[in-house]
Amino acid sequence: MVAGDQSDPVDCLILGAGPGGYVAALRAAQLGRSVTVVERASLGGVCLNEGCIPSKHLARFAAAKATAERLAPSGMPAFSGPPDMAAFQKSRAAAVATLVKGVATLLEAAGVNVVRGNARFVGRTRVCVEIGEESVRYFDFKDVVIATGSRAGELEELPFDGDRVVEPSRALEWDEVPASLLVAGDDYIALEIAVAYARLGSKVTLATQGDRLLADFDKDLSAAALRGARTAGVEVAVSADLAALSGKAERVVVSAGRRPNLHDLDLQAAGLTMPAKLFTVDAQLRLDRHMFAIGDVTEGLPLAHRAMMQGRVAGDVLGGKAGAFDSRAIPRACFTEPEIAAVGLTEAEAAAQGIEASLGRFPLAALGRAVLESSTAGFAKLIFAIDGGAVIGAHLAGPRSTELVAEMALAIEMGATAEDLALTVHAHPTFAEALMEAAEVNLGRPIHVRVPAKR
Amino acid sequence: MARYEFRLPDIGEGLAEAEVAKWLVAIGDRVSEDQPMVEMMTDKASVELTSPEAGVIIEQLAAEGGVVKTGAILYVIETDGQLAAVSAEPEAAATRSEPRAAAAVTAESAGVLAPPAVRKLARELGVDLAGVKGSGPGGRISAEDVKRQSTGAPAAPAPAHEAAPGRRVKLRGVQKRMAETMALSARTIPHVTGFHELDAKDFAELAARLRREAESRGGRFPFDALLVRAVAIAMRSHPIFNSSLDEERGEIVMHEDVNVGVATATPDGLIVPVVAKAETLTLAQLAAEVDRVTSAAREGKASVSDLKGGTITISNTGAWRGGLGTSLIRPPEVALVAFGRIEARAVVRDGKVVARPVMPMSVTFDHRIIDGEQGLGFALTLRGLIESPEQLGI
Repeated sequence: MVAGDQSDPVDCLILGAGPGGYVAALRAAQLGRSVTVVERASLGGVCLNEGCIPSKHLARFAAAKATAERLAPSGMPAFSGPPDMAAFQKSRAAAVATLVKGVATLLEAAGVNVVRGNARFVGRTRVCVEIGEESVRYFDFKDVVIATGSRAGELEELPFDGDRVVEPSRALEWDEVPASLLVAGDDYIALEIAVAYARLGSKVTLATQGDRLLADFDKDLSAAALRGARTAGVEVAVSADLAALSGKAERVVVSAGRRPNLHDLDLQAAGLTMPAKLFTVDAQLRLDRHMFAIGDVTEGLPLAHRAMMQGRVAGDVLGGKAGAFDSRAIPRACFTEPEIAAVGLTEAEAAAQGIEASLGRFPLAALGRAVLESSTAGFAKLIFAIDGGAVIGAHLAGPRSTELVAEMALAIEMGATAEDLALTVHAHPTFAEALMEAAEVNLGRPIHVRVPAKR
Repeated sequence: MARYEFRLPDIGEGLAEAEVAKWLVAIGDRVSEDQPMVEMMTDKASVELTSPEAGVIIEQLAAEGGVVKTGAILYVIETDGQLAAVSAEPEAAATRSEPRAAAAVTAESAGVLAPPAVRKLARELGVDLAGVKGSGPGGRISAEDVKRQSTGAPAAPAPAHEAAPGRRVKLRGVQKRMAETMALSARTIPHVTGFHELDAKDFAELAARLRREAESRGGRFPFDALLVRAVAIAMRSHPIFNSSLDEERGEIVMHEDVNVGVATATPDGLIVPVVAKAETLTLAQLAAEVDRVTSAAREGKASVSDLKGGTITISNTGAWRGGLGTSLIRPPEVALVAFGRIEARAVVRDGKVVARPVMPMSVTFDHRIIDGEQGLGFALTLRGLIESPEQLGI
């Protein structure tokens, strides 16, 4: 601390107003804490401004076109021209603005003080916030939550140039569909962008360094993703030479994971050690008695809904509640062709944990709703622990999978068994029936597919 | 800042858990070394635990009435000494990013099958889900299971009929322990009870004489001391009564020492302090020891060592005009002898009905270990000792 600096005492200080930080702020305020949030960019973080929200906006836009084209043989009129991307961008920006304003309204209504600027630690209980070029403010906190999120990782062989080679977020802002696009990456972000632009008319190559898409998903979903991407018109090049491919594309998007935003925080000044990769926190999300970390700076999948749950838990703990981040099931949703979603253990993970598992797999080709929508590529694959029969994993490919996965997350959290799922009435005709049917397959008594040999 | 986690020590032999009777400090209090922190109620006695460290108490991991397992963290102190060291030593401070052991809440056990709301309840009640047996399909843990664990009551089916409304008093401490022990006893032990009416004329006279002698010296002679003496001598010739059943290993454990528990009514409930090695004590020692352990129990001051290791129990209801009755054995013991009030009764002597002081006695034994002949043999030996007390070696 520089002698003479004025500092403001604050109760809870939250660094970052992304999906983790703003939720933590609201919950802590709800429980009576006085909360100050520091945000250097826009409220809502990457998720709301340039990640989840705009990317799903683009995916939905592209999927609508694909749906119309798929129904053309059933009489749906053909498109008369290419989509108007400028108009799309306006609607995308408006949607984001509405949601950002919503967060601002919530924070204001909760009495949360929002400070705009870049924060860094200057002591064990003190943070310096640089506001613009000139102004600096100091805050002495009782408790601090590090919720600074993450930024796009970069590939050495394809560095971002801010124009032709960009990170995924920039690809959501284009006013035009590029004639040709190289997407480098094998994760869901790369896949979503590749599928969306292919559907919108770009000649897309999806190039991966590894030998499969969605490498950390169940292998059946990787296979479904590959088939689906090709169906959408994406050329998939596995184990590819990225540098060689990049020269041929008008634009290049690189998706190489997320890197935590920790380097600017001067953790040393707070007595914290910079982690090798990500922070390890306890169930209360503490690094220390008065220091918490949530979201993409902590170990685990860099997903907004994980950060939001952690935010709620951190807020609970700050509010003196017996909170713990102990979710068994964190769903993953890919807005691709087909939609892919997963929650819980994969077959391989269950085996690695020594869990004796049994499967229930139901193909969408046997489902009325899928047939009438001409979307029969996909399946529901459920994994049950033989001991007790509780569902421990769900791997879904097909329309609305990203919604259906919620039922399976609940099932896993509740310890639902195959019987529970099979005996729950699912509305007809819906894709959700696939989950009930998959449970019946596991129980060896399916109605709509041939009875497989009992496993 | 150093965290000192105080774990519940084993305050009785093989004691698995204890209940927080009363916190003597609150979170945020500064405490000194050896300051009494908490009063714990074990199944047998109440024990005050002191702090081995000075500092500020920052966490209490169980509420009053909560049950804490031996070895589990009871409270956390931010200790003084190392706090100062940290402020002065930046290197030490840098280690703070290491995650604190999530000791407070171990409910996150991966294999535990419990819905989120149940996990939350467990956190709030301080229940470790790893130790909860789920009653649902596949061992799924319900809110009821957690509540049951939290109160320590045994898993029981729903009552056959709804209880009438009334004031509710939480089952705790000695009373709770009695409920558990007696239910276990009734559930697992095939009890057999033999009833006997003893001619207690000489025994009563001996007891009265010993009391007068003791009182003339300013001492006391508890009647129970003579009963303990008789039982201890009888057990010498019937060693099977001085045994216990190790069900797990399918073995009978024959004990060396005769440790006689003396059932004692206290304001908290029934407590059974133990007279250890009763067969080795002189009569004077026995009188002093019976007096000491029963007085301590009545005053709630019995030490844990006074309350453990019993190999048989006697229950004398004479002071309350008790008659003949059955008893429940205290597992893992295999027998219990109950005595009633000595009263004049009409008995037949030499063909004539005469009035004699008669003491009712019932011998209850575990029929898994002791057969009817053995049971009767012990009772007759005991009867002989009491009816002809010169055999008591006094």
